[in-house]
Formats: sequence, structure tokens, C-alpha cells
Amino acid sequence: MDAFSALMGGFASALQPATLMWGFAGCLVGTLVGVLPGIGPALTIALLLPLTYHVPASSMFVMFAGIYYGAAYGGSTTSILLNTPGESSTVVTALEGNLMARRGRAGQALATAALGSFVAGTIGTIALTFIAPLVVEWALAFGPAEYFSLMVLSLVAVSAVLGRSVLRGLVSLFAGLLLGMVGVDLQTGQPRFTFGRPELLDGIEVTVAAVGLFAVGEALYLAWQGRQTQSGEVLRVTGSLWMSARDWARSWKAWLRGALFGFPIGALPAGGAELPTLLSYYTEKKLSKHPEEFGQGAIEGVAGPEAANNAAAAGVLMPLLTLGIPTSATAAIMLSAFEGYGIQTGPQLFTSQSSLVWTLIASLYIGNVILLVLNLPLVGLWVKLLKIPPPWLYAGIIVISVAGVYGAGNSVFNVGLLFVFGLMGFLMKRFDFPAAPLIVGLILGPMAEQSLRQALTISQGQWSTFISRPLSASLLLIALGLLVLPRLIRQRNRSR
Amino acid sequence: MTPVRLALLLLVLCAVAAWQVTQIPSSAMQMTVGATLVPALITAGLSVCASLYALSAWRGGQADESRQDDQSPLPGSVGRLGWLLAGGVAFMLLVPFVGFVIPATVCGMLIARSFDSPLTLKSVLICGSIALVFWTLFARLLGVGLGPALPILF
Repeated sequence: MDAFSALMGGFASALQPATLMWGFAGCLVGTLVGVLPGIGPALTIALLLPLTYHVPASSMFVMFAGIYYGAAYGGSTTSILLNTPGESSTVVTALEGNLMARRGRAGQALATAALGSFVAGTIGTIALTFIAPLVVEWALAFGPAEYFSLMVLSLVAVSAVLGRSVLRGLVSLFAGLLLGMVGVDLQTGQPRFTFGRPELLDGIEVTVAAVGLFAVGEALYLAWQGRQTQSGEVLRVTGSLWMSARDWARSWKAWLRGALFGFPIGALPAGGAELPTLLSYYTEKKLSKHPEEFGQGAIEGVAGPEAANNAAAAGVLMPLLTLGIPTSATAAIMLSAFEGYGIQTGPQLFTSQSSLVWTLIASLYIGNVILLVLNLPLVGLWVKLLKIPPPWLYAGIIVISVAGVYGAGNSVFNVGLLFVFGLMGFLMKRFDFPAAPLIVGLILGPMAEQSLRQALTISQGQWSTFISRPLSASLLLIALGLLVLPRLIRQRNRSR
Repeated sequence: MTPVRLALLLLVLCAVAAWQVTQIPSSAMQMTVGATLVPALITAGLSVCASLYALSAWRGGQADESRQDDQSPLPGSVGRLGWLLAGGVAFMLLVPFVGFVIPATVCGMLIARSFDSPLTLKSVLICGSIALVFWTLFARLLGVGLGPALPILF
């Protein structure tokens, strides 16, 4: 079995002490940012991008994987103990988890979340191990036309499916695409949208945009509201961390079902983690033998969504590693890290960087074990973190953001740009524009333009190449469907 | 700020983008798709979406999150925004001259001020430690170029 032996090679490399240390650091930092509200994995990985000049690629990606999985674990602690979800994907965990904690069962809620994350994370990683090579084989037949159409599909999916309004999603997407055009055009060498500033010739750094939107924008919004000057009420960890036989019996099926929702939906463009966690919650509510407990702290309502969340995290890595297509802001930033190392992403990644990819996948298995060991015994530490007063928390977040951006090239201009993006993030949050389409657009925009040009060069300027090739046409059709269908269905329902 | 004003801002941005598209120098190279086509398409797309947003906002169809009960800002909101942005400006003005730690401390203090923490000695000490810890972590341990910690170390 090819995938199996390659995976074993990956384990041999990921278990090297130095690599293991980076993985451990990633898990620790990831849990930390997952626990802290206002700082997430996308932002953290963006801040660490400047390190790509100093650290070998395999170590860096093992750390990123740790951060990515760690954040998915850590978010649940905040949801359960503070009722303020650290990540959008753990909103559902907060529903039942916080109620369990209020009824003196915080320990069991944390335990089922951690074990569910481990089980589903491992199932998701196994699925990634064996399905990814199949996707790669299929994707090797892609030409530039198919790639262009696939990118259009991902861009449309990220904008139209997530968020509450297709229109606002599209505004955010086009703004991101436009920002992606800033800088010197790679093919003609002509400057675009640079306003004569030499600092803009290299384009807008993803780090600056992501950190500005997520960290500075969030801080500006919260400061403007003025409601976050005191820490929220952090519940004490009550009850044993050991689950009873009854808790186990009620949890394990929820974990498995959660994983089944999470991985496939996470692997779809714009599937994300929010949808599978919601689906899992409602499924568990429907299937539970104790539906009356939902709304009062039902353990299935924590186990299922938390498993779905972690399986989705593994799912998101699939299009990223096999096609080079990011389907979330975090994946988009990881893609730019690949670019930072000069690594060509896409299906060829599995052959050209085989050892890197398999080390990364092996480190996901190891990361899951580290996180299981790290999460529950250290819960006391995470609780302390939740008690940091907001002024110092946000002072710390902004100072580390400024340090990360300034450290990338000692550019004061970029620090200014960081705050401009912060103001943009503030307005976007206030008027409910999603940020993910902007980040994904910023990164995919220039790539899509390259594919478009290559496809048109091959077809000698025939635009029909995008619809005359069956695969490309189907992808464009799905994209169109995503844009138009929800609207049509809504109008039909209204007219009835 | 209202959704209508935001829409106007977006339309102004579209106009600036359109003007910039006309400023892209034409290339002597012969190619199917030049440097202008994709930016022009994106600008057109953004203009269409911004116009639709403007229309919808004009009819009152767009959201302002701060209108919800638990989201509305408490009095003094503009002042708090000002403190936070002042933190960024202070960092930018100071960092070319006095190393990293002093600008980062001042920046941190002004941000804490925007979360209603007064500018006291306590704030100096906490933000100073935050700045020093991050400088040590990034510049010393990870080798990121943040410049010297203090001006004395030039």
C-alpha cells in the first residue's frame, strides 16, 4: 500500500526530536490561541509567517498543523467555561457545554469534548491519508482551464455560502481580489494599483491583511463598543474529569456521527466547520434518548459538535494539500506559507514534496495525541488565561500583531497598512461583511489570473475553452448554481 | 457611519480603482491577456456589487450590527477608537528612533486605555513587560529582525 508506506516514512521524520518539539510548541500555542477570545489560528499562523525565513519547511508546517488542530481543541474550553466561544466553530459547543458547567458537570463536558476531538481528529486524519492520494490522481488531469474554473468555484463558494448575505460576501470577495492585484504584474512587469508607492510594488502582504482584519479590527470593534472592560464570568471546573460509563455510552456514537459530518463537509469548498457542528447538534438532539436534557446540558450536544469541528479541521486540509485550493482563511494563510518557501502547491505537491506532505500528515496523528495529553491536565492553566483582564489581553494581542508585521521587513508603512486593514475589519464587522472571502480572494486572485492567462494562451485566445472542456464547464456550472439557486429557492418559497 | 455612507465610500473606492486601471502602462509584449483585463473585470464586479449594496442600503435593507440591543456602543465610543488608533500612530512615529520596547510599551498602554484602563504606572509596568517578553521571544529566540530593544543598545 503506497499511502501506508509513505505515511510510515512521514512518522519516521515527524518523530525526530526537533520536529516533534515544533509540533509540541504548535499544539501549545494553538490551544492557547483557541482558548483566548479575539485571537484565532488564522491570525497566529499569519503572525508566524516571518519565521519562514529562519525555520525549515517541514518543522514550520508541523508547527502550523499543531496550531491548527490545537485551536480546534482549545476553543471548546472557552465555550464551556466562559460561554464566549473562542472560535466561530465552537459556538454550538457553548450551547450545551456551558449549561453542563453551570450544573456542576464542567469536568465531564471538557472530557467528552477532548476525547471527541481526539477520536474525530484521528478519523479525519485517517480519511485524509487514504482519500487525498485518490484526489491527487484525479486532479493530475487538470489543465489551467480546469484550475481557473475550480478557483472560481472556491471563490464563489466561500463568498456565497458562508455569511448571511451573498451580496455582502461578494463585495468582500471583489475587494480581496482587487487587493490581490496590487503590485507588479508577474507577466508584463507593469505596476498596478501602486499609487506610485515603491512599498506596494511587491503587493500587499497576506500577514498584514489577515492580522489587520482579524486582530486590529476585532480590538477596534470591542473598544468602540466599550462592553469588554471586565473579564466574563469563568465557571470553576467542577465535577470529575473522568466520564462515567453512562457518559461514555452517550458520547461515543455522537463522536462517530460528528466525524462523519465534519470531514466531508470540511473538505468541500467553503464547507467550513460551522455547518457540520450545527448539523451534528440537531442530529444528536433528534436521536437522543434524553431529548428533554437538550437546553439544560446534554452531553451528546457537546460530544457531537466538538467531534464534527475537529473532523472538519482535517477535511479543510484535503483541498489545500491535494489541489492547492484554500477553503478557509487559515488554509489561505497556510497556502501563502507554501508560497513563502517557494513550494509549488497543487496535485504535484504530493510528488514534488512527498516527504514534507507525509511528515505533515503524520504530525497530525501525533498532534492529536499531544493535544489529548495536553488539554485536560492543563485545564487549570487555560482557566487562568481566561481571567486575563481585556485591557491587557488586547494590549498584548495588538503589540504582538504590530511586532509580527514590523518584524517581517522593518516596514513602518506596513504597520500603517495594518491599522488601515484594522479599520476595514471594524467596518466589516459592524456592517456584517464576512472577512474570509477577502483573505481567500487576496491569495487566490493572482493565482486565478495566472491560470486564466495560461488557459487562454493554450486555447489561442478562445474564451470558449472554459465551457468546451467538460470538467471546467461542470465546475463553472456548480459555481453558478451556488450563486443563483439559493435566491431562486427563496423566491419560490416566498411566492407560495 | 450608516450602511448608506459605507456604500458611498465603496463607490468612491470603485472610482479610484477604475482610475488606477486606466493608469496601468500598456506593455509592448504581445499576449492574449494583458495586465489590464483582470483588474478591469474585478473593478467592474466590485462596482456592480457596491451599486447593488448602495441600492439595498438606500431602501433600508442592510444591517448595522450595532443597532442590536446587546451590541450598541456605550458612550465615549469615538474616544476609545481614537486611543486605539493613537497607539498605532505612536508606534510608527517612535520605532525608527528608539528601538522596539519603548514604542511597543506606549502602543500597549494606549490600547489598554481604549479598554478603559487608565494610563498609570501599573499600565507602564504591564505593557513594558509585554513588549520586553515579545521582543525577547521574537528577536532573540526566533531571530526575527525587530531592531534593538532600547536605544542604548545601538
